[in-house]
Amino acid sequence: MSQPISVSHEMDLAWRYASGEAMERFCAGLTDGRIEALRCAACGLRYLPPRPFCGDCRARLTEWVAVGDEGKLEAWTEVQVPMLDAGTGRPRATPFAIGLVRLEGADTTLNHFLAETGAGRLRVGARVRARWRSERAGTMADIECFEVIG
Amino acid sequence: MRPVAIIGTGQTRHSKRRDDVSQPELVREAAAAALADADLRPAEVDAILISNMELFEGRAFPELWAGAGAWAIGKPCLKIATGGTSGTSACIAAFHQVAAGCFDTVLVVGFEKHSEGHTQAGMALTDPYWDRSVAAGALGNFALSVCQYVQERGVSERQAAMVAVKARRNAAANPHAHLQLPDLTIEEVLASPVIAAPLRRLDMCPQSDGAAALVVAGEASARRRCRRPAWVKAAVTRHDKPYLGDLDRRLATMRTLRQAAAVAYRQAGIDDPVRDLDVAEIYEPVTYAELAWYEALGFCPDGEAGRLIEDGVTAMDGALPVNPSGGVLSTNPVGASGVIRVAEAALQLHGKGGARQVEGARRALATGYGVYAWSDVIVLESAA
Amino acid sequence: MNARHRRRPGVWLAGAGQTGPAAADSRSIPEMVLAAVEAALEDAALTFDDIDAVVTASVDLYDGLTASNLAVTEVVGAVMKPETRIAADGLCAALHGACQILAGAYETVLVVAHGKASMASFPELTTWAMDPVYLQPLGVDFETCAGLQAQALAAFDERAERRWAELAAERRRQAAGHGVAPPRTAEEVLASPIVASPVRREMVAPRADGACAMLLRQTPGGRGSPGGGQTGNRTRITGFGWDLAAHAPGDRDLEQWAGVGRACARAYQASGVVEPADSLHLLEPSCHYAHEEELFVRASGAGSGPCVSPTGGLFAGAIPVAAGLSRLIAADRWLRQRDEAGCALVHGSWGPIGQGQAVVILEAAA
Repeated sequence: MSQPISVSHEMDLAWRYASGEAMERFCAGLTDGRIEALRCAACGLRYLPPRPFCGDCRARLTEWVAVGDEGKLEAWTEVQVPMLDAGTGRPRATPFAIGLVRLEGADTTLNHFLAETGAGRLRVGARVRARWRSERAGTMADIECFEVIG
Repeated sequence: MRPVAIIGTGQTRHSKRRDDVSQPELVREAAAAALADADLRPAEVDAILISNMELFEGRAFPELWAGAGAWAIGKPCLKIATGGTSGTSACIAAFHQVAAGCFDTVLVVGFEKHSEGHTQAGMALTDPYWDRSVAAGALGNFALSVCQYVQERGVSERQAAMVAVKARRNAAANPHAHLQLPDLTIEEVLASPVIAAPLRRLDMCPQSDGAAALVVAGEASARRRCRRPAWVKAAVTRHDKPYLGDLDRRLATMRTLRQAAAVAYRQAGIDDPVRDLDVAEIYEPVTYAELAWYEALGFCPDGEAGRLIEDGVTAMDGALPVNPSGGVLSTNPVGASGVIRVAEAALQLHGKGGARQVEGARRALATGYGVYAWSDVIVLESAA
Repeated sequence: MNARHRRRPGVWLAGAGQTGPAAADSRSIPEMVLAAVEAALEDAALTFDDIDAVVTASVDLYDGLTASNLAVTEVVGAVMKPETRIAADGLCAALHGACQILAGAYETVLVVAHGKASMASFPELTTWAMDPVYLQPLGVDFETCAGLQAQALAAFDERAERRWAELAAERRRQAAGHGVAPPRTAEEVLASPIVASPVRREMVAPRADGACAMLLRQTPGGRGSPGGGQTGNRTRITGFGWDLAAHAPGDRDLEQWAGVGRACARAYQASGVVEPADSLHLLEPSCHYAHEEELFVRASGAGSGPCVSPTGGLFAGAIPVAAGLSRLIAADRWLRQRDEAGCALVHGSWGPIGQGQAVVILEAAA
């Protein structure tokens, strides 16, 4: 079989994403080191990320509630293979750990990096706390990661 | 829904890289095979549905270019895309278009050429405000969900390894499958490196280049053209919330799959799936997911999935063979994987399973899984 | 190989809602879509509970989001319901929703399409839809193809550009008040910059942001509406058809819009329209370029009788993906405000110079 001819393309595109009102307020809160969720008046679910609508009740979300920056580690993993980092466009250094954190005051879990690697400290049920950056810009990266505190 | 049936299927040789074909040619390979199987000429196809997650290849509207491969030019042709469920979604859309009386025959082609794209870049385009900065792809998401599932349902990595062995050994009897490892052992799976705890390399599905196609026909056409049409008895879809964190314990709960299966079984007159079904092709992106799907699909009570695989119930010689094709664990071109499930279920009923044929199969289940918790459940049945 | 030629029962358009077209909508896609869906439900006197299934239309590359219909699952009421997503013009979502109802699968289907041209760089995005081997490397995009077609049309027709400029001016004038771009005289159109010769910027329908939603039903009335099953002044989809033409401009006869002809033929057959010139009162095509309209009228066989784009068509604002659905909403409004029976041909298209199209026949009883 002859060699295939290949035509290569490089994509360099940009999109302007509107945050929406709920996320705009949430991000403003992050700058102040504050986390807030939206609570459904019908079912009581406290949503992170905050969003316009409760999908179960089919009702608009309007009630803001405070959420702590500590909670429980519901799931964790340590990734060994280089994954594309959407921020830098380059593979992330390995190993890195991520987890699902249920913050006090929220009913959904939050997906974020974990400070520790290694199964020693990471376990389902561990108490974790957000490690905030000193300089914050109103993005989820204002939280550098979550640390196990107990 | 009025009676419609699948009367022919076709697949490419799935592999890591199909450098020998372009995307339209990949589509052509599967489409031609399905038409040959259905004994249909291209001109006899009334409409085409394409399934593809084109952002993985950095494209938009792929059917504009690749549709010619399915002889779609001058015909009604639409593209469906719903993540991993794209393929099953496209099949269900075909069922609806034929049952509506719009067409007598619809060709469905699902394809993906991961080697021509950058799937990770595609997968990284999640919500830019919420989780894009921490996105760790399907691997990271599944590892987290599996971590919870293991904690809650107590399945062991050995039981997961049994799923891996079953899949890759089954695939060895499937000439289309990407990963064929006929001598794979549990020990080898357990010795494969951990890529994201607790997932080992051999617990994960591959990324494949490949296409699959099938022909859906209305009742009169199906009876005229096909010796043993695979009739669609149920086709149920359920979607769920958009963030991973919304679906806590998702493998253990998987409410979309549970409800879709319950509705589908009711529609198809199935009381006990293990007894009433002869074969199942379920969409399992990781080994542990197959165990979770056993529970969600009612093959066993919650907490018993490990026992089910240990008892060999889902082996080729078990009461309900699951994934004789080797499943997604052996072959995964995302846009095609859902079509492959339906095609493999249908060809079992057509009696065209070759070395992977389940003898006397008359009732088959095909499922689709996508994004975090989107589910399709399809039940097919052929006459005695 | 022809589709079955019997007349199908119609599918009722129980309600419709729309945001925009807006030059730039500052809302997020979920917020925009929710507004359109709520407006449609109110128009139909229905609630989310009445929805059996949802068909959405969106394009991942346009939204910069993988599985872009994820973003709208909650606001279209699709949590724990069936949803399917068609990645073509939103009118295809409507005709697929109609198929689902005609198939007996569902009774009430919500159809939604959205797009935000302000989010990204159109037409640059469209290069990624072109044949990556032969066309994309040349920098060909949808606009370039429009230029090629217009060039072919103008080659032996000295008055073509003037005619297009006058049409663009007329459509912009009709769109004044609800459109995203100010009116222009024909002279201003002819003086506007060339985008792909001989197509000038003001001959291109201005791109916009928006979301369109509509409810399709097997039976006419909403449960909440007085007199249940009465039609009121609701419209019905009585036929539809769609088509995919060849991709490369060189493989098409650029002086025709053959795909429209084929799609219309299928729709006419389904709805029982024998002589479109006699049956149609309104044409609502998706013409992104002024020169496309005369091609559309010719291909549809509708002649000069029907009204064409009385509110400016896409020159009020061309919302990516949702454009065809916005035409259906416009046609529905136009038919319902008349006192007599009416029949409209509605059109949506996608791809370079309308490579793909969908048409819907919408009818109102007297």
